Amino acid sequence: MMKVLEGSQAVAEAVRLARVAVVSAYPITPQTHIVEELARYCAEGSMDGRFICVESEHSAMASVIGSEAGGARSFTASSSHGLALMHEMLHWASGARLPIVMAEVNRALGPGWNLWLDQTDSLAQRDTGWIQLYCQDGQEALDSTLIAYRLAEAVNLPVMVVLDAFFLSHTYESVDLPSQEEVDRFLPRFAPKFRLDTAEPYALCEVAPPGAYMEMRRSIQLAMEAAPGALLAAEEEFRSIFARGYGLVDAYRCEDAEIVLAMAGTTASTCRLAVDELRERGEKVGLLRFRLFRPFPADAIRAALGGARKVAVLDRNCSFGAGGIFAQELRAALYGRERRALHGAVGQPQVFGYIAGLGGRDVTPALLCEMYRLTRDSDSPPAEGAWLGLDEEMLR
Amino acid sequence: MSSPYFDELKVSLLIPRSRTSTEANRTGEWSFSRPAYRDKTAPCRAACPCATDIPRVETLVAEGRLDEALAAILEENPLPAVCGRVCFHPCESRCNRSELDEAVSVNALERFVSDREAVRCDREEVRCDRGIARAEGPASLGDGAAAKGSVAIVGSGPAGLAAAYFMNALGYACEILEAESEAGGLLRYGIPAYRLPPAALRRDLARIEAAGARFRFRERIGERDLARLRSRFSAVIIASGHAKARSLGVPGEELAEDALGFLRRTRLGGSEPGHSSARTGARGKVAVIGGGNTAIDAARSLVRLGCEATIVYRRRRADMPAFPEEVEAAIDEGVELVETAVPIRLERSPAGISLSVQATRPEGAGLDGRPSFVPVHGEVRVLEVAAALCAVGAEAAEPWMKPRESALSLRRCAIELDGPAAPLAFVGDLRGPRETVADAVASGKEAAIALDALFRSGRDSIAGETERCRVGDGEGLSMAAYMGGPKAAPSRRVVAFRDLNTDYFRLSPRKVGPVIPADRARDAFAEARDGLAREDAIAQASRCLSCGRCNDCDNCRTFCPELAVRATPEREREIDEYHCKGCGLCAAECPRSAIEMEVQAP
Repeated sequence: MMKVLEGSQAVAEAVRLARVAVVSAYPITPQTHIVEELARYCAEGSMDGRFICVESEHSAMASVIGSEAGGARSFTASSSHGLALMHEMLHWASGARLPIVMAEVNRALGPGWNLWLDQTDSLAQRDTGWIQLYCQDGQEALDSTLIAYRLAEAVNLPVMVVLDAFFLSHTYESVDLPSQEEVDRFLPRFAPKFRLDTAEPYALCEVAPPGAYMEMRRSIQLAMEAAPGALLAAEEEFRSIFARGYGLVDAYRCEDAEIVLAMAGTTASTCRLAVDELRERGEKVGLLRFRLFRPFPADAIRAALGGARKVAVLDRNCSFGAGGIFAQELRAALYGRERRALHGAVGQPQVFGYIAGLGGRDVTPALLCEMYRLTRDSDSPPAEGAWLGLDEEMLR
Repeated sequence: MSSPYFDELKVSLLIPRSRTSTEANRTGEWSFSRPAYRDKTAPCRAACPCATDIPRVETLVAEGRLDEALAAILEENPLPAVCGRVCFHPCESRCNRSELDEAVSVNALERFVSDREAVRCDREEVRCDRGIARAEGPASLGDGAAAKGSVAIVGSGPAGLAAAYFMNALGYACEILEAESEAGGLLRYGIPAYRLPPAALRRDLARIEAAGARFRFRERIGERDLARLRSRFSAVIIASGHAKARSLGVPGEELAEDALGFLRRTRLGGSEPGHSSARTGARGKVAVIGGGNTAIDAARSLVRLGCEATIVYRRRRADMPAFPEEVEAAIDEGVELVETAVPIRLERSPAGISLSVQATRPEGAGLDGRPSFVPVHGEVRVLEVAAALCAVGAEAAEPWMKPRESALSLRRCAIELDGPAAPLAFVGDLRGPRETVADAVASGKEAAIALDALFRSGRDSIAGETERCRVGDGEGLSMAAYMGGPKAAPSRRVVAFRDLNTDYFRLSPRKVGPVIPADRARDAFAEARDGLAREDAIAQASRCLSCGRCNDCDNCRTFCPELAVRATPEREREIDEYHCKGCGLCAAECPRSAIEMEVQAP
């Protein structure tokens, strides 16, 4: 059924349809609409779940760790400083191999105090053992939340579904809202592989001495390696019911592209316009949208880039002293791999890193065309990336 | 649906899991403090002159254990049917719940618990007016079987009844000597039936008699009878109250009738359902002079007899010693209030009486801290009324009813212990700082404890024994504490609102029995307030926060991270000291401040 929904509502609807039993969260802009909606569902009884109010995000994650360990499908949501406060518990969730799903709305960290889009908050959690999926629109946010449970419960790792602040969380779009019956066909009732049970007691998250810890870490890595395959399998099932899917990466007009513009989130939909405009002018350009970030799908990305000579990565984040995080990840994925490029060039494409649109600043088609032009006209990329759209006067 | 992919998917899942019991990990060795269950005093109980264990009563009502709830009240107060109606309930004024939403309806619940018993009493046709009682008494409070002595009690008002009931419970044979032909004193003759229906009083009397007290009616005791009584009985208790009205002290004062006399006539002749009101002789506009409960009782009775009542009071409404709810009810019923007006003259007039009153104004502070009111010269008005009632206070009927200077003076009673004669105690209004039913009961209880201590351990033990059973920071004495029953003597520390963990309390509205407007009552003197229905009573009792008293909520056991709180089959809790690490979560999460962390000696 087509409905006009806010991005946050789309996520909340998915959580209800997933028959989540426990929600625990602490409000923070721009995530609040999601949990407000869920609190309302629980209160009015339209969702058969318990909403646990807590005093912090740290406790919110601790609560869902408890409920998930008890065998209840659980959900939380956070953003920015809230996610930063949750950091310690993110490790506890993945280390305990609990298939929790969280909606994360990308927002800048202060100071200066800023409520708007910035990817640093979620990217800073890349080493916590959480799978990360970045969404482009309301439909994908809804679908990804459902798929996230299928994926998380298959590999026993928690999943973060990431949404852009305001551009996605607060934007109303038409969304195909699936029926409960369809969702039930896609997503089976939660059958935990282990759960705390008073009838057969054991302690979870026990001490792991040097003789066991490393094997447990390896087990997480193996599960991460299984995740791309499991995501594709889950998407295949999803497609068979809903006739839509997303893949590990989203490539647009890349087949014959010499230069590929790469980015995540809603910016990619703006970039589609820029690519079409440049194509009309005869430029051989394509778009690659990062969807799965952890695990980083290196093979799928390499395949999608085809024979491109250059990749221009737009990062709405900065790892100070090292540049944009997507650009770093991409460079690491390409380095030292053999390939046969178009026009006889050997080696991987050059990666040009650009930083733009931090703290909610607009990224326009004109800015993306400028990024393309800079990339096309340069022989070698700047070491730690170029910053686009700066007001140099303010820095003087 | 599940594709073969997922059926066959094998993902590595190595997690830190242990089936080894952590019992061997004696976390108790880390501890330097340990929780202890220490019941404290709830502010309501500290405020109650009778020291009724209100949190225990409300817990029992909330659990539907109504017989036990009544028994708990009767440990401290033999007049629940009376007090459930006429008590000024200082417990509710001090209820911690009022800082959360509204005070618990303690008074209405006391009435509910006693009325429920009353239903049974009435079915058995218990009539105790003439001393015939067949009701089952409460469980014996004391060793009762063999009389330790005999006590004569002069007067069957609330103080005398309480003294008899508690002396009885302590094992003494009691005889109540009453000048009238029926028991109750002020309860029967001074409080109008719309506040205290005769049937309710009968029920409390029946229970007291069934517990062992013997009544002898039409026994008017004079000063000359005292020596005889003191030689025949082990002790004599004077509880004859304030029976003599004070006069106005202005010209024409004899034209005003004593309000207590009016109430008595009304009660005897006019207020029983079906009786005519003609015998009271009241009609037209009647002035009631005074601002105490007697003035209000008289005015509201006049309204019920078809008169217009005007209260004339020399201070302001806020200064009236009458209970504020009673003043409010009177005004709701149409009683006129003339404040800051003092009568200066009464004269006969063709219509009845011309009452001249002079305006007053506050000036300075009197001895009691309230402002003094002085006349404003020249401002005199005349009220034309059919009759006037005087309700400016009462005093002991005879001079010998006051204890001598040499008497041992306690807070609420005085005992003459001169020579070989039996001790002579003065209780109730004769000794009370406040003239209320609850204070009268407290006075009778104090005398019973003091006399028992005297007989058992001598005069010097009285102060220590009464102090031992004092409750909280209040003045009430606990008979249960004196007798040393279970949970008898909680810590005297009074639990304040800030001591509670209010996270566990939901807001819920207070309810009391509805008021029945006088014009809709089946009878003019029918009870002006209804009782609570059973389900309402249980819900209202559940509102009690049980301040300072463990009510088995189990929060401590739920929150203990070491599972070191154990529940015993007797619903008690014990701490497993091998595993309690002294974190204090149980004390922090106890909603009612019933757990203390005690630092242990190294």
